Amino acid sequence: MSNYKEIFVKTDKCTGCLTCKIACAVEHSETKSLFSAIRESPRPVSRVYVEWLPGNAKVPVLCRHCEEAPCLNACISGAISRSDTNAVITDAGKCIGCWTCVMVCPYGVIGRDQTLAKAFRCDRCPDREIPACVGACPTQALVYETVDGFSKTKRKTVSRELLTREGA
Amino acid sequence: METRYLIVGGSAAGMAAAHTIRKKDKTGAITVLSDEDTLPYFRPMVPYILTGKKQVPDIALSGTGIFVQPRIDVRTGTIVTSVDPVAKILTTASGKTWSYDKVLFATGSRPYLPETVKGLDSPGVFSLKTVADAAAMAQRSRNTDHVVLLGGGILNLKAAFALLEKKIKVTLVVHSPEVLSQLMDPEDAFLIRKALDRAGLKIMTGCSADHVVTDADGVCAVALDNGTQIPCRMVCVGKGVIPNTECVRGSAITVDKGILADPFTACSVKDTFAAGDVAVTHDPATGEKTVTALWTNAVDMGICAGLNMAGIPTRYTGTLGIMNATQVAKEPFVAMGRVHTKGRDLETHIDKTDTTYRKIVFNKEGTRLVGALFIGDITHAGMYRYVIREKKPIDRIKSHLIRHTLHYGHFM
Repeated sequence: MSNYKEIFVKTDKCTGCLTCKIACAVEHSETKSLFSAIRESPRPVSRVYVEWLPGNAKVPVLCRHCEEAPCLNACISGAISRSDTNAVITDAGKCIGCWTCVMVCPYGVIGRDQTLAKAFRCDRCPDREIPACVGACPTQALVYETVDGFSKTKRKTVSRELLTREGA
Repeated sequence: METRYLIVGGSAAGMAAAHTIRKKDKTGAITVLSDEDTLPYFRPMVPYILTGKKQVPDIALSGTGIFVQPRIDVRTGTIVTSVDPVAKILTTASGKTWSYDKVLFATGSRPYLPETVKGLDSPGVFSLKTVADAAAMAQRSRNTDHVVLLGGGILNLKAAFALLEKKIKVTLVVHSPEVLSQLMDPEDAFLIRKALDRAGLKIMTGCSADHVVTDADGVCAVALDNGTQIPCRMVCVGKGVIPNTECVRGSAITVDKGILADPFTACSVKDTFAAGDVAVTHDPATGEKTVTALWTNAVDMGICAGLNMAGIPTRYTGTLGIMNATQVAKEPFVAMGRVHTKGRDLETHIDKTDTTYRKIVFNKEGTRLVGALFIGDITHAGMYRYVIREKKPIDRIKSHLIRHTLHYGHFM
């Protein structure tokens, strides 16, 4: 199991405020400031997506950096690689905009820059300690942890909930 | 004792297998025999060699993506001529023999040159498949201002754009009523056709080459079956590919069009495997036997063969005969599974705007997604592929599939 941190989603905590999307777009802008980013051309775009489900549930979706990543296998130009922090990253310099990665990603989280003909996706913000979306989420629906840490926290929460329910 | 793995073919399937084996077996000897003179490279990038935008080292496999494992011995310029799969010995064109414990045939495919067209062996006739082809075409293109391309498939379209970039006039001669006939029905292609026309490609549909006309310098024209002649100094043939099965012919390994591979990528003889363009596998969308010539399929199957060779039994999920994503003339498109619906008993939903075209295909009962074609907007195409390939139940998502509102939340 990997000891690297990943972005986990707690769908029950997401209110659909889209703060994550704004933070992501700003982080991936030229100027990295909201006020100037909105005037950039092309307009910076988010790599996080928030989808809606019936019953008004919200589901933030972003690149899972899969252990067996179909995009990594499929790339025909050698643009996709596994970074030393276990992220799956697209090198825009090598990307030729053939969209094979878009065709094979079962999560639908690889975006397309149509002007530059380059694919883009979550890069876990390599310049930051905590990814911008995680840092910005006001309800902690997005968390940045190791798989191990996340499941420990989850186990604790579940057992606490069980105890509360049993009236202990 | 260390296992000796021998891999015949140094492209997508062979190299994916080699790197997968090394991930699982740290000590075995892995040797790749490649008939090309160049170290393994990303074949789909060959058009960039023709334009000169990339040099051969820029498109090398080694050190990128999944091709990062150590100690893989690649022997270039090594042509395997025969195999004795019982004695486990390969023979090369130079007469050298190689013994092995496990062998993978990933010999790929080569351009199909129709015998009905006379003169395709003349100087100036090419197919754009290898870096050597690209170099030869670049050389010849210096003395030509017009190239005739026979066939309207993706490879020829890529070649056509590479030549256009070099300011050379191109004419596509397409036997079918429309370009890309392997990937869509003619009426599906109108947005792409519009984009190609706009980009300056001359396309002649519904006609074929009869023969190539030559003079002392090789090609000087193409004579068509409608009686016309197109003067040109260069011809590029893109009429599909045929599997390279020569080296196993006459051996105990079963060949039927390609080398037959079972669901675990194994051939009919023990410790013998096949993957990539040369392998006959099955199409999960149609259930039929199929051979494909697609980088992505070859890598997937190579990985699977690598696992099986390293002693980890892994079932290959099959290749969608049609599974293509690309962009031609700034028009992105994806075709997956069964997309030819004309005159077929399938439930088809078409949705078009001025800039996008979408065709969603279900089986005739409407209970399973079997194909999808997106032109102009290919967002979320991967989820459709997942539903087709994994034969996902669709009762809860069918309307989303049709209206294109599907997202990952629907699978949760």
